[in-house]
Amino acid sequence: MKNIFILAFNDLAVAIKNKTIYLILFIPLFVFISLGLLDRTDGDVNKIKIGLIQGYAYAPEITRSVKAAEKLIEVTWVKNEEEGARLLKKHKIDGVLVKNEKTPGSLALLVLKKESFHAFAIVQSFSALQKAAEGNSPSWIADIKSLHEGGVQRQTLPTWILMLVLLVGFIILPAQVAEEKEKKLLLAFLQTPIREVQWLIAKLIMGMVLIIIAVAFLHLLGQFGPINLFGYIAFIAAGSYCFSAFGIFLGFLCRNQASARTLGVVFYLPHLLPSALSDVSQKLTVVAPFLPSYQLYRPLQSMLLEDGRIADMSFEWIYLVLVGSLLFYLSYVLMKKRWLM
Amino acid sequence: MQLEIRDLTKLYDHKRGLLPTSFDVIKGELIAVVGHNGAGKSTLLKMLANWILPDSGQVLIDGIDLRNRTAVVRKVGFIPEVPNLFDFFSVEYNLKLFAVLFQTPLLRVDEVLREFNMIPFRKNKVQVLSKGLKQRVNIGRALLADPPVLLFDEPTSGLDFEMTKEIYRLLISMHDAGKTILFTSHRPEEIKSLATRIMVLHEGRLVFDGPPQKYFQSEVHENLYA
Repeated sequence: MKNIFILAFNDLAVAIKNKTIYLILFIPLFVFISLGLLDRTDGDVNKIKIGLIQGYAYAPEITRSVKAAEKLIEVTWVKNEEEGARLLKKHKIDGVLVKNEKTPGSLALLVLKKESFHAFAIVQSFSALQKAAEGNSPSWIADIKSLHEGGVQRQTLPTWILMLVLLVGFIILPAQVAEEKEKKLLLAFLQTPIREVQWLIAKLIMGMVLIIIAVAFLHLLGQFGPINLFGYIAFIAAGSYCFSAFGIFLGFLCRNQASARTLGVVFYLPHLLPSALSDVSQKLTVVAPFLPSYQLYRPLQSMLLEDGRIADMSFEWIYLVLVGSLLFYLSYVLMKKRWLM
Repeated sequence: MQLEIRDLTKLYDHKRGLLPTSFDVIKGELIAVVGHNGAGKSTLLKMLANWILPDSGQVLIDGIDLRNRTAVVRKVGFIPEVPNLFDFFSVEYNLKLFAVLFQTPLLRVDEVLREFNMIPFRKNKVQVLSKGLKQRVNIGRALLADPPVLLFDEPTSGLDFEMTKEIYRLLISMHDAGKTILFTSHRPEEIKSLATRIMVLHEGRLVFDGPPQKYFQSEVHENLYA
């Protein structure tokens, strides 16, 4: 029994030494913070931002009820449906009440995603307002239209692609770089005439190729393709460049593989979850743009689901390339200094 | 001079490492660098191999500054104590990979395999080889570019009697071929039978530098192994 305890304590010491223990502390902390940022499902915490079209003859009960519920609903008047859709894509509003072409006289709700918290909250709030104003008459919102095209498979595609990119960037590459450092293979390479930058570019290419193969395979299996192929490839290339450089940099911060894996997970989750969950949370929508992963996720989502064009997303593309270049340079500096080798 | 070392310094935490050290090496010398653990032997060799960057000082190899790494890599071969090879690849793959990086003809790989009696193991994965065989592959890899200076960090550490003799034979044959060799060692018999010059480091300082006869009669040797 004594030996078992000694071995268990030794395992714990190893876990502390190779930083695995950080995951045990980090994951609950991260989940706690993320859940804190997610909106509560009772819908009364944040105002619903609804777009109404100028010049459209909404029923007086609707405008009156919406005005009366100003603490619950914030109204933005838009010129037409197109402007409403543009504001929706920019997450400035949560939905637009438009004319329902299927049932004349009723309204349709235009949202980004049908299966989103926003759509649910708007329908629930309007249903409550209607009951208070009119009792049990037919629902004001007779239909829900989604800007995102395709079924659940297609709608979840940007999240899966983000997962693959981050998996290669934060899990595979740091471990590989750290392994080469740990086994002194990198130093063996530096005893040949290759230059530091050549080694770094080779690693970058490896990461980018892995990501591009994985993404292409996913598209092949799902038989989904973007409409604007050139723009999409440009974004996958920029994203894979940025996160491959990120992974190499993380590898340089670690002495061994175990530390690299831990550090990789520590970066993986915060980059994946806020971006992937930003559609269902107003607060995360505010926080997520600060993460490089969101600057990849939003354009992917836009190009795959909203027919977005690269010209409208040049800021995100430049951002990814700049972050990747900065991290590539930092890796070069660490390599020159033989950091933790 | 083949090697000119001037005030080479590297200090780690707790003041360990190598204090400012200067010496010259003539072509064809076989130098044993001895001293207790932590005396600075490996630090010295690793700095000469560009594995560790010095805090200060200068090293010239055939007149070329060591900081010009890509210019000196073909002049120095370093064989670390623990072989650093791609374990999951074959012996041949490991050698060919580095031959390509050294821009050496691939025929050189066959020469090295023959020279080190590794032909029967050429297709074996490195991970299945004994430490002695791995060390031979490591030496072979360092010789791919035929560097005139070779640095061995504890070349016989952890090897059995037969493999130790094999490494001695290799060291002597490389020395006979005109190579300049520096090796670290803890074994007096190894130093006595191989070295043409002995350097003793103690707490980061060079405390002895001379021929073996003088060393074995000196107090330094007695103090070192007292």
